[in-house]
Amino acid sequence: MEGFPDDLVAVDLGAAAVSIRVDATLYPLDALYGASYIFLDRCYVLLDRPTPTEARVTLSWKKGEPPEGALRALVGEFANELLSCAWRSKINEESRAIIEGVTAQALGGAMGAPTLDDLEKFDFTDEAFEDPLGIALSWEEKYGKKKATKEPGT
Amino acid sequence: MTEVRFHREIYRGTSVDEAVKVFAPHATFEMVEDRDHWVVRVTGKSPARERRVAGELGNYALGLTIRARGAEERKR
Repeated sequence: MEGFPDDLVAVDLGAAAVSIRVDATLYPLDALYGASYIFLDRCYVLLDRPTPTEARVTLSWKKGEPPEGALRALVGEFANELLSCAWRSKINEESRAIIEGVTAQALGGAMGAPTLDDLEKFDFTDEAFEDPLGIALSWEEKYGKKKATKEPGT
Repeated sequence: MTEVRFHREIYRGTSVDEAVKVFAPHATFEMVEDRDHWVVRVTGKSPARERRVAGELGNYALGLTIRARGAEERKR
């Protein structure tokens, strides 16, 4: 097929079908599923795994004879979609930890104020946080009269 | 007779079973297994009908597999 490597794409004109060989180490199964799902309404999609590192996608034209160039367009669109799905799958995998962390924080906050029992168990022995502006000081500590210091000999 | 081979690492067996049940009124099905595949043999009234039923069966089984996998992912 013009524009595609011969060892990757095979055409069966009699069956109005094309087979695409996919490197399974580059494209995860999720990407293959995602790309295939989009084509279910346009053609018959059959997935296979001839070897552990290789997947094969067969796209068969649904009705009648495919118009000229239709099978080629199908292969091109499928390849683009597969690449897009693989990229999305990778982003999803990388951001999974962040999403889980944010979700856990949100759910933790939604659980409401801690109970008295929770507060009782809370460990206050940690070091106090830094407070250079004195925000955590009480009014008396900050502005109250300072105790007169005893001078020696008075 | 048309043979459709569903690889076990790609298709769920339950999805293939369900798809066969859905298309049972439209053709005759025979199901066998080999080491890597669930094999479904489709016999229809005409070659054109057989091709159509086999194709739709494959799409249906794939759709169910993807949906089941998506539901599983959301549970995690």
